[in-house]
Amino acid sequence: MNNSPTFMKNTKPEGLSLTAWVQQHLEIAEQSAHLNAFVHLFKDGALAAAHKIETAIAQGKKPGKLYGIIISVKDNICIADRPVSAASAILKGYVSPFSATAVERLEAEDAIIIGTTNCDEFGMGSANTHTIYGAVRNGDAADKVAGGSSGGAAVSVQIGACQLAIGTDTGGSIRQPAAFCGLTGFKPGYGKISRHGLIAYASSFDQLGFIARDPSLIRLAYDICRGADDFDSTVSTAAEAAESPVSAARLATLADFFPASNSYTQQCYRLIQKLGESFDLTLTSFEGMDYLVPTYYILTTAEASSNLSRYDGVRFGLRVGEDGSLEHMYTQTRTRGFGAEVKKRIMLGTFVLSEGYYDAYYTKAQKVRRWVRNQLETLFQDNDYILLPVTASGPWAIDYKANDPLEVYYSDVYTVLASLAGLPAISIPVDFENERVHLQIIGKSNNEHNLLAISEKIISLSLK
Amino acid sequence: MTATPILYESVIGLEVHIQLNTRSKAFSSEANVFELSPNQNISAITLGLPGTLPKANKEHVEKSLHLALAMGCSIPQHTQFDRKNYFYPDLPKGYQITQDKNPIGRGGNWTFTTGGAERTIRIHHIHMEEDAGKSNHELSATHSLIEYNRAGTPLVELVTEPDFRTGQEVYDFLTSLQQLVQYLGISDGNMEEGSIRCDCNVSIRPFGSLVLGERCEIKNVNSRRFAREAITYEAKRQEEVLSSGLSIERTTLLFDAEKGTTHPMRKKEGENDYRYFPEPDLSPICIDGSWVNRIKEELSILPAEAMAVLIDWGVQKEEAEKICSKKKWYQYFVSMVGDHALPAVMLSSMVVNKILPFAENHDIELSDVLSPSQISEVITLFNSGKVGKSDVLSVLLPALMKSSQTNVKELAQSLNLVISVETSDLLPLIEQVLSLNPDKVKEYQNGKKGLLGFFMGQIKQTAGVAIDVGTLKPLLEDALHKDLPNN
Repeated sequence: MNNSPTFMKNTKPEGLSLTAWVQQHLEIAEQSAHLNAFVHLFKDGALAAAHKIETAIAQGKKPGKLYGIIISVKDNICIADRPVSAASAILKGYVSPFSATAVERLEAEDAIIIGTTNCDEFGMGSANTHTIYGAVRNGDAADKVAGGSSGGAAVSVQIGACQLAIGTDTGGSIRQPAAFCGLTGFKPGYGKISRHGLIAYASSFDQLGFIARDPSLIRLAYDICRGADDFDSTVSTAAEAAESPVSAARLATLADFFPASNSYTQQCYRLIQKLGESFDLTLTSFEGMDYLVPTYYILTTAEASSNLSRYDGVRFGLRVGEDGSLEHMYTQTRTRGFGAEVKKRIMLGTFVLSEGYYDAYYTKAQKVRRWVRNQLETLFQDNDYILLPVTASGPWAIDYKANDPLEVYYSDVYTVLASLAGLPAISIPVDFENERVHLQIIGKSNNEHNLLAISEKIISLSLK
Repeated sequence: MTATPILYESVIGLEVHIQLNTRSKAFSSEANVFELSPNQNISAITLGLPGTLPKANKEHVEKSLHLALAMGCSIPQHTQFDRKNYFYPDLPKGYQITQDKNPIGRGGNWTFTTGGAERTIRIHHIHMEEDAGKSNHELSATHSLIEYNRAGTPLVELVTEPDFRTGQEVYDFLTSLQQLVQYLGISDGNMEEGSIRCDCNVSIRPFGSLVLGERCEIKNVNSRRFAREAITYEAKRQEEVLSSGLSIERTTLLFDAEKGTTHPMRKKEGENDYRYFPEPDLSPICIDGSWVNRIKEELSILPAEAMAVLIDWGVQKEEAEKICSKKKWYQYFVSMVGDHALPAVMLSSMVVNKILPFAENHDIELSDVLSPSQISEVITLFNSGKVGKSDVLSVLLPALMKSSQTNVKELAQSLNLVISVETSDLLPLIEQVLSLNPDKVKEYQNGKKGLLGFFMGQIKQTAGVAIDVGTLKPLLEDALHKDLPNN
């Protein structure tokens, strides 16, 4: 099913050395350098890691659960002694002294990090064009965007430079690029994986997740990464829900998300109807769709304006204008260091938190968020999964300039629902009507395993 | 025509920051100490490096609860941290983690002694927060140097209602607060070393008016004396401004201790918008009833309760105040009375007049001055009537504290303090001395009461052995009165 010429099988062939396997992946990554998927390739580091693992195994060590799996890490996730910049000039040259908890846990199971991937600056964007490393190009069509913000992560898997990409999803940043690149993208429920080592965009939304071809690999990685962490007190310690039989799954979809005028989402709607032949399916409605995007942008920009205050040129990263006053240094550093989209969101966030506007915007948005959560909770009393499109369209041209900046923000409407509610959600490729259609499935809290199980089932169905 | 001068009263409210003596910092694991070389005690979390998250410290919460409960605050079921956003180089994250909407304690009040009377002020709320680092603008000619060891250390902030009227009241309140935090064991309470810092909001209004005047805030006052001086100066300054027909502008001030004056720190305070919002990196903390009850059980005896115990034992108020001014002194006293069954009244005289001054002069603990058994022996000697009280205080104890002689009885004997004269032996002695000094007797009887000491000295000298003054004095007075000529 893979149209990418460089697609490789998920698993290391018997008899091939781990070093050679890593070498093959490095070569693929280098051949596709024009796609801008990678920020740094850890050529020596990955080979050294492979050698180390091989030596340990030769000495009798049991191979880890991720032995033979090559992974990429989004450039907003910290790896000890490696540069990390969130694709921003303000962090250019910054080297993290510690690894993200997820990175540590994956490496402990013998996953090998091949490099760090390009993304939208601080995760802010839907096309991976807001980056100091150049826009990421889609591996299927280099004149199209890869999606964002985890565009580099998606392309790193798409071209076969790795089997698994760790990304982050604040409002769809894993699910949308996965869809644009023909892959599976999984965002666990909020707090399921430690955010320690994730460079914050919007703390109450940010979530680590994975992009891969193979949902079973995602499940493995999820199980390795999830759970309590001393460095993140917001991690959920709730147990996974009991396994529920896939065949008995009750699906629901929300009519409001399928405007008759959009043929792209209409195709997704037909797919869902088709699934109704195999599963119990309910068509229902969701009042308040119009509030999702505004609520999402009020809350995320508010948190971002505060989270990005630490980039002031005092302790690390870029410093410009230190010959002038303190205020001059602050202004110069942040003016030069941040890109236009980031500055726009910092200003929006500063505005919605400011005196006199706080209640009208922030407080109200918090209320809407609670309302959305309650609405979905009600929906989930009679249903197990909500099926939606991932996007309103396929990937757009890389040089496309939206006339209205809100147009791009509104394209997030399908993915921000799960983000506002903090629920697990996945984007999967389904072959339907001789095309690859992308379907988003939102699951109940603590039902990540069940969500992955039904995803695998739907992917495996041969539909017309 | 001259207008009657308006009489003003000051209205003062305080924001007091107390450094808590937790083991680790408020949101990270490095030790809560900062008397180290600069920037030696800073983790990635304290520095706010990208990807780091705070973690609440249970001890920070509990020590804050101790203060909140001691002051009678109501404790919410949920308390939450908020972010206070502002840029300053010594604030690593660009925001301070503090509490705004759901502080750990609301309401409450505190009673302290001022001007010889009890005064109660109301507490607005108590909240938890982290401290910032320190900036130094003097050490380098070209750069400001930043020191982050203090960054992230836990504070509890106490905000009072504007219930103070004078600088002296504030002084006395801070004294009482120092004593309280030290009793609670939550802070060393050392104001001069910065463990307690206070912002004083001062306004004035005509006497009798209920309307609050515009206030000025004196920031970061770090001694009780400075607080008193700054408030007194500021109230006078405001009075002069109003008297000259101008109005008070809301200003943030600093106190110049050398000049004894206040001066503006920055203007346009109203333009500072801290954009508080709930800290998304920390979940709300649930404080259930059993937690509160446990803290209540652990709560230290409060200074006022300690005073009541001593007064109940018959200790004089001034002595009780001295002993209770430090919890460790109170504890020492209680254990001496309780564990060693010593009489409280005699013991408090000994402690306050002799043992405590000795300990303070030599910078040692009370318990290291004399052993319980030595003190017990002294009291036994006193109780048996063998050594008089004044001899105990002015001769025996000083000698005992200085000497290496540990046997109390032998020491008393060698000092000739042990009374070997019985009451029946005293009367002839008195008569003998009075008959030898008829003129002095007459003078005494004519009102020169100071001669009593002369007679006692003569009697002691004549006796050549220790005499209990307490026994001698009434007998001597009796004899002097008996000899009064009938006229």
